[in-house]
Amino acid sequence: MDRILVTGASSWVGERLVRSLESRADTEVFSVDEIEPSIGFASDFYLSSLDVLEFAEHVIAVRPTTVVHLQTLDRSALFGADHVQSSVVLGAQALFGAIGRLREIRTVIVKSDTAVYGSGPRNPSVVRESTTTPARLTAYERGLREVESSVAQLEDELPNVTFTVLRFNPIVGATIGNSLSRYLRLPAVPTLLGSDPRLQLVHEDDAVRALQHAIDHPKSGRFNIGSNGQLYLSRILRLGKRINQRLPARQFRYAMAVLRPFGASLPPHLVNLIKYGRVTDTRLMTQSLGFEPGLNCRSLVLAAYDRLPAQK
Amino acid sequence: MEEILNRLGVQELRSLARALRVRGRSSMSKAQLVESVAAELKASEPPSRKTGARRPSGMHGEERRRSSRDRLGLLVDRERVCNFVTIEGFACGLPPVRDNERCALHGGTNISDLAIPAAGALGFHTWPALIRHLQMASYDIDALGLDPVVAEILWHLGNYLYFDYFRVDAQGLANVPMEGAAVLAANHGGAAIPYDAMMLQLAVANDAPLPRRVRVIGTEIFNMVPTYSHLYRKSGAAYAAKEDAMWALENGHLLGVFPEGVQGFQKPGSEAYRLQRFGRGGFVKLAMRSGAPIVPVAVLGSEEVHPALFTSKRLAQLVRIVFPQQRVDEMAVWLNPIPLPVRWQMRFLEPIEVGPATDRPDRLTVLETAERVRGLVQAALDTMLRERSMIF
Repeated sequence: MDRILVTGASSWVGERLVRSLESRADTEVFSVDEIEPSIGFASDFYLSSLDVLEFAEHVIAVRPTTVVHLQTLDRSALFGADHVQSSVVLGAQALFGAIGRLREIRTVIVKSDTAVYGSGPRNPSVVRESTTTPARLTAYERGLREVESSVAQLEDELPNVTFTVLRFNPIVGATIGNSLSRYLRLPAVPTLLGSDPRLQLVHEDDAVRALQHAIDHPKSGRFNIGSNGQLYLSRILRLGKRINQRLPARQFRYAMAVLRPFGASLPPHLVNLIKYGRVTDTRLMTQSLGFEPGLNCRSLVLAAYDRLPAQK
Repeated sequence: MEEILNRLGVQELRSLARALRVRGRSSMSKAQLVESVAAELKASEPPSRKTGARRPSGMHGEERRRSSRDRLGLLVDRERVCNFVTIEGFACGLPPVRDNERCALHGGTNISDLAIPAAGALGFHTWPALIRHLQMASYDIDALGLDPVVAEILWHLGNYLYFDYFRVDAQGLANVPMEGAAVLAANHGGAAIPYDAMMLQLAVANDAPLPRRVRVIGTEIFNMVPTYSHLYRKSGAAYAAKEDAMWALENGHLLGVFPEGVQGFQKPGSEAYRLQRFGRGGFVKLAMRSGAPIVPVAVLGSEEVHPALFTSKRLAQLVRIVFPQQRVDEMAVWLNPIPLPVRWQMRFLEPIEVGPATDRPDRLTVLETAERVRGLVQAALDTMLRERSMIF
């Protein structure tokens, strides 16, 4: 009997993952998040408050064998600028503290982001898992690094538990409601004048599949999750038949302010991404983790714009 | 001389005769034209002149451009059409690479290594087809972000600088290996825009036995300047991160480095062609790690494009405000905003073997090899300077 705890279950990826885990035999799913899910779960859902100790007590009470930690999203648009510190970093601390007290636990999967590498002019063109990048980090990126370093500490303390850190490239898709997807689907997309970043993305379905794969085939280590290939932002917008509205830095900030109420405004780490771009090496993902994404970069962009022709 | 003139057509002889103001040229036969043009040429020849490269390889820019284009055209098969179709059903209409089913964009060749024009030739007439592919994003870019279509368009534009404006005379291109990795280490000239990096790429693409791409690495400033930053990437260059340089060498590409760095860039005119310190010899370490030979390259002409009047510390302070990460102490102040039409020379020297690939390069060997490369480039520059009769 597997007891799987999913944190951050109300995110798009979390909801899909919980749904798919619920349909499995011999599996009991427990989900946690700080906001209500938009779809109903058949399994137990716990709405965590800002009190991280209460959350830790709940984790200990659930006694999970597998923990899937998805609550590493930047929700500062919803909860204010302090969210990264108060929820992402402290929440992870509480969760890892609880994991340290649990005997039954076998697998811990942490959803991280390639934002841990930052993006800047001195980053290598293709970032590997082992690379320490010189880019200056935003608050969210620093928070993620802190979470990952506590995973590394916990790994030393608990040698019997498999820790998998999945660093996802930006997830986009036709239905996912994250800020990058909303931004890319605007009719006219404001971009920074004079910069054309290279982006590597993951399709929403591939992101859920990658998590399922990691649950089924536990493998300790850090893995970049991304589709094959990379595209320049200008080409992405051209594929989506969107207007590429190039704006100087100041006007770009105004445009972001205007877009904030629509949820299509980019947080600082994504603004950096739109300026300098980021591409990661996914060889470890295919060779060591054994996961193959279904769509390559070009077809996932077409899919995100509902322009992918049906398979014959 | 008559022998050469006999090979020309009557039309060309007549235009030569007109240039030399030969009287009665319109009624002359070919033999008469040859005779009078030869006589006129002999009379107008200056008595003695230093053996500098006044007119490299005896050809004008237009002729050189045409011969380069014809040579590149042999690499593709114009009779057939590439069989690639995108998932939306957009068929590629470009000519495939010779002995291949696909064109250069869609897997006919290794785009990171070979510079085979996708459209089969360089020219404005190929642009509509190329831009269609660019907009469809129908092809893959390589790991460092090289966009073969943008690179081809920039190559064509750069050729006007290479053949017509700077009239680059590249010698010793046989020293550039036809396949496999190599480090091309060149001296850096003082200019706002790294023309020497551009000319190095164009020399190997246009005049080498096999048109290969030189993957140039430079400072992060090139990744920060708007517009320039992404064109820089798309043309195949990158920031000098160790990972990127090793990627190029491990995959058997040519790596172009300027070991002097910013110091070579920002020096006063009095120090033109005096090579600066070669850093800590990072390029030798890269070569030793991958076992790639080092080809020293001497570039003459880059220093006079924007002659530096003096160097200023004030200006460097301003630059540090805009780019805080830059470590510039002095900035050169140039005479002219528009590049001067200097006649360039480029000499590729004998490759230096560094032995088999090793994970731990010997520190002293690194410094020694770097110093050797520096000496070779400096010696070649000195000879070229002595033999040069005119800057323009």
